Amino acid sequence: MSEFRVTPVLVEIVRNGVIAVTEEMKTNLMRTAYNMIIYEALDFTVGLFTAEGETVSISLGLPTFIRGMAETIKAKLKHFGREGIEPGDILVTNDAYITGSHLNHFTFSIPIFHEGDLIGFSCCMAHWQDVGGQLGGVTTDIFSEGIQIPIVKYARRGVINQDLIDIIRMNVRIPERAMGDLRAQITAVKTGERRFLELVNRYGRKEVQGAIAILMDQSEKAARARTRAIPDGIYEAESFMDDDGVVIGVPIPIKVRVEVKGDEITIDLSDVSKQVRGFYNSGITTGTACAQVAFKCLTSPTDYPINDGSFRNLKVIIPPGRVISATRPAPMRWWMTFPMTVIDTVFKAMADAISDKVIAGHHADLCVSLVHGIDPKDGKFFLAHMGPLGGGWGAKYNSDGESATVCINDGDTHNSPREQLETKYPLLIERYALIPDSGGPGKYRGGLGCETVVRALSDVTLNASIDRAHCLPWGLDGGLEGTGNQVLLRRNGEWDKERVNAKVLTAPLKPGDAYALRSGGGGGFGSPLERPPERVAADVRQGYVSLAAARDYYGVVLDPVTFAVDVAATTTERTALAETHKRRVASQKAPMKGLTATELAAKRAEHPPIPCLRISCCGMASFSFLEEDDLSA
Amino acid sequence: MPVSLRLAADIGGTFTDVAAFDEASGRLTLGKVLSTPGALVDGIETGATKAGANFRETGLFLHGSTVAINTILERTGAKAALLITEGFRDIYEIGRVNRPDAYNLFFTKHRPLVPREHRYEVHERLYATGEVLNPLDEDEIVALAETLKRERIEAVAVLFLHCYRNPDHEQRAKQILQTRLPGVFVTTSHELSQEYREFERASTVAANAYIGPRVASYLSGISDHLTRAGFGGAFLVVQSTGGLFELHQAREQCVRMLESGPASGVMATRAVAQETGIANAIAFDMGGTTAKAGVIENGQVLTTGTALVGGYESALPIQIPMIDIFEVGTGGGSIARVVEGGALHVGPESAGAQPGPACYGLGGREPTVTDANLVLGRLSPDRFLGGEMLLDVKAAERALYTHVAQPLGMSIVEAAAGIIDIAVTKMSYAVKGVTTQRGLDVGKFTLAAYGGAGPLHATAIARELGITRVLIPQAPGHFSAVGMLHSDLRYDFVRTRFTKLSELDFSAFENIFVELEAEGSRKIREARVPVRETYIARSLDMRYVGQEHLVSIDIPAEHFSGQDRAAIKRLFDSEHERRYGTSAPAEAAEIASLRTAVTGILEKPKFESIASGGLSPLPDAQRGTRQTYFSGAFVGTTVFAREKLLAGNRISGPAVVEEHASTTILMPGDVLTVDALGNLLIAIGDAA
Repeated sequence: MSEFRVTPVLVEIVRNGVIAVTEEMKTNLMRTAYNMIIYEALDFTVGLFTAEGETVSISLGLPTFIRGMAETIKAKLKHFGREGIEPGDILVTNDAYITGSHLNHFTFSIPIFHEGDLIGFSCCMAHWQDVGGQLGGVTTDIFSEGIQIPIVKYARRGVINQDLIDIIRMNVRIPERAMGDLRAQITAVKTGERRFLELVNRYGRKEVQGAIAILMDQSEKAARARTRAIPDGIYEAESFMDDDGVVIGVPIPIKVRVEVKGDEITIDLSDVSKQVRGFYNSGITTGTACAQVAFKCLTSPTDYPINDGSFRNLKVIIPPGRVISATRPAPMRWWMTFPMTVIDTVFKAMADAISDKVIAGHHADLCVSLVHGIDPKDGKFFLAHMGPLGGGWGAKYNSDGESATVCINDGDTHNSPREQLETKYPLLIERYALIPDSGGPGKYRGGLGCETVVRALSDVTLNASIDRAHCLPWGLDGGLEGTGNQVLLRRNGEWDKERVNAKVLTAPLKPGDAYALRSGGGGGFGSPLERPPERVAADVRQGYVSLAAARDYYGVVLDPVTFAVDVAATTTERTALAETHKRRVASQKAPMKGLTATELAAKRAEHPPIPCLRISCCGMASFSFLEEDDLSA
Repeated sequence: MPVSLRLAADIGGTFTDVAAFDEASGRLTLGKVLSTPGALVDGIETGATKAGANFRETGLFLHGSTVAINTILERTGAKAALLITEGFRDIYEIGRVNRPDAYNLFFTKHRPLVPREHRYEVHERLYATGEVLNPLDEDEIVALAETLKRERIEAVAVLFLHCYRNPDHEQRAKQILQTRLPGVFVTTSHELSQEYREFERASTVAANAYIGPRVASYLSGISDHLTRAGFGGAFLVVQSTGGLFELHQAREQCVRMLESGPASGVMATRAVAQETGIANAIAFDMGGTTAKAGVIENGQVLTTGTALVGGYESALPIQIPMIDIFEVGTGGGSIARVVEGGALHVGPESAGAQPGPACYGLGGREPTVTDANLVLGRLSPDRFLGGEMLLDVKAAERALYTHVAQPLGMSIVEAAAGIIDIAVTKMSYAVKGVTTQRGLDVGKFTLAAYGGAGPLHATAIARELGITRVLIPQAPGHFSAVGMLHSDLRYDFVRTRFTKLSELDFSAFENIFVELEAEGSRKIREARVPVRETYIARSLDMRYVGQEHLVSIDIPAEHFSGQDRAAIKRLFDSEHERRYGTSAPAEAAEIASLRTAVTGILEKPKFESIASGGLSPLPDAQRGTRQTYFSGAFVGTTVFAREKLLAGNRISGPAVVEEHASTTILMPGDVLTVDALGNLLIAIGDAA
């Protein structure tokens, strides 16, 4: 073997090189994919891996899929053995317990060979819109969720396995779309293979591999340095999910424990709930990803790309059988919702230790809806994935939270143009707007949530599996909580009076009926009584905060016409509010519980056993769209 | 024929470039002056004088300016309002809800140019088909006009959903507003974009309103000034497509001139390429903070339908046709840094002009790409900008040592060479972004490099990409102004009409095309500029049924007249195959939008030939030798003065060619030939 040398310059060139490869894989996948979940929601991840399945570079997609592909490649390596993988092979699986997610995530890998040796993998996971299984509702085991493909070869030495394609085609509802996505994924992994080989041929195999090893070491060094800057200690926090969609109204506890010691960190997720009956489970790769995503955000969010060096000083503890380490045959279809709250809860735990790195709670749900039916235009079945709504993000120690932005499960995920949705499907979007007063009050205010109102123009069926209606995005350091997520139905011109949660697991809608999705607002940071009155006045002028909330939460009294600050009245109001504010902060410490029998008795008949979130009853921001003349009239 | 002068003025942030072309004598003269921020017209005047031009003799005035883009970037636009369909007041703020910087909890999304308090909902609604669900409430518009007057709004944007299917409501609202609000700038989305995507259209029309009053008065100011100076010709403005449009159009559709500067550079590249018989060229422009690349394929400039203003994470989209330009944050001022963990990064932070690279001696402490070039002997310390600025080699070495060499245990020279290598690979990705990633074989292109730092890195970038030919044009610093003289009148139209190819109603589409093209031809006539011929290019934005992303397919007229669905499908399949390496001939395709560009082709100046000489440059073209670093060692390298080179001269690398604001590097093995027009054509030697 000839001598080789890896200079810091080559390392940087290879770093840029592998990022460019995965970016191009991503571009090709997005541009050629057939379903909105890939091309708009970017529900996919592409990456390059070492011959051992270690992550070299991945382009997301989904932050919480940070682990899924590496673990899938390792499983494939174990299944076939290194000698069982040959040039021209393309490996595939959608095994939910390997990817850690759901059956929609078809994962293709190409082994990359250089001069006859296996030197790595190019891999692509992408979400297929339909993989068969039960339509709508809530599933309670994996078998009702669609076709399962164990680890097999889609292509063997360059020959495609037509039997496999035929089996898949027969088991999915829209086979031509599935095949379109399959082609797009093959394009992506082939692009990765070709470009990585170009890099290897340009700089030499040992040089590139050496540079990759150093890249990982650099990420590790940075991660350790940032960890060392966190005070040693044990940090804990808890939160909860509304319910599992089967046992309604029973919260699911999420508890995390973080231990920092020198430059090592342990995230212990043992006390996260056991796996649940409804489809909110995910596999252990996702549980691990929760810890890794949180760790990455808190240590090196922008200066190093994701590779497995980033996580060498992070230990993750999760016993099997938790809701984020579920075992067969737990239902997994809505895998992505609970992990987001796990990540947010880690931020909450770390708030005291590194208040300048964390963020207050966010809406933590994609707030998507699925609508299916027969399109009267062509008499064909359609399945509309309405895309993420965007919601409020938490405030930080130095700035307000961002409004209307996709939750942490997703990254560069786009919503769909409403004009396109109306063109494609028999639906009319009546409204897409920010929700005033939804952001948690604080010295820095939480971001605002959004609401959309969707009217059916023909008979359709709605499914929405949204959580975090009850566990509100929490404030930090004296900031208050934002509002929770919600779903409401309008049937025969009447909006729902009550809903116990934000789940509508199957609801037929007639023409003219509508549903509303409302995403939560982010939590505030710092006491709202310390927010400069001019900033509160500016928020009121823009309509982000109401006059009433300015007075009741921020203690700022404004002229209702000019929004000029009444300085004297504000001083008085702020003094008077001090005690109330303390109580409000304290009330956030305890998770929201069900109502006591006495409390419930005081409510009107048929009130749910938990706070209903109605402002007129249990207290929540008003429904702006209900107060206006809606378009249905 | 009273007047024969054609004058082009490009106002950039730092310099105003003027190019004057005399049709009678065929002479091209150039002038470059510092931009005068307070009174930009003065810069044009001074530049014109430098170029020996007189407004009285000018028949055609061509103009490009950064005024539009700067008004957005600096947030110095008008107090604007947005009128929008009921229920959608916030879509401009909600945007696409994406969060590109996935692990950064401190991300910021785009900031609207029109604050929420000035976004007003209007009771009106169309179905996706363009049929009316709720008619426009005209009384409401009248009442809103009063509110806008009270709020002292200077510009109003109007966006109604599905207006691309039926612009009636937007048109009527505009009429009412214009009547009620004299002197207020009123703009509607369908005039700028008749393409679906409400957020992108809202952002486009809001940007137009925001910059409208300032840009319109800027253009009027220049026009008035020219008129007073005796100018009686046509005033044309460069659009982001590189095409020209008439002044009164520019005053109303200001967003179309956002990228006029970069576009002119690409048009200049096209003109030079055409003149030198090059069909495929990359226009590569490297300045102080960024490098940009555009593509000319088969003589045509590649365009795109949307551009983003600002960084991707918080960008404002502008949905109009533009030259497709890929940009990376690497320039002469890019800072090299060793970050925690030990990685060496180059850019995107830039030292800019202030404090500038360490070698400028203006307070910059961190090493930049320019410092690296200086230490490697690629730049002359005493001939930078024609000797107007002395560069401090010691300061550059100190910065490199402290911030890179010492922390990484390298020598200063290794650090400098490494910084250049990293910068070169990063810039090569900009070029790949517009070529390889679109299925184009980059090796078949000529790299035309301009901008202050382009020629300095061109041969290295070419090697990185396997490009064998490099072209350094004459006067790379005046390139944009020259490019304007080679532009044509151009009007672009887009209409969204979702239809499956199998259900395409050819006659309905033909009617739309004909109507749009008649409008384009009318606008060209109204520009009162002699046009050699009118050229129409039709295209369709297509995809496979179920796909989202669109591929724009040029459609020859005969496919339409012959109603040849199969031929259109084949064109689409093969373009899809070319761009993405995959196609699905068995799958059905659909059309989202139709496009047509009507071009009025103008007479062009001829490039002037330079004096010719022998194979060897004259002795006085040599400025002596300098120790310059090439792959591992310093070698004595001959330095040439570009203005002394003659057509036919040949230089073998290694060599350095210096001119006023730029330096060209020939690496060992490269061979440079000066062509008849004074361009430097470089054949890249075998990659070392």
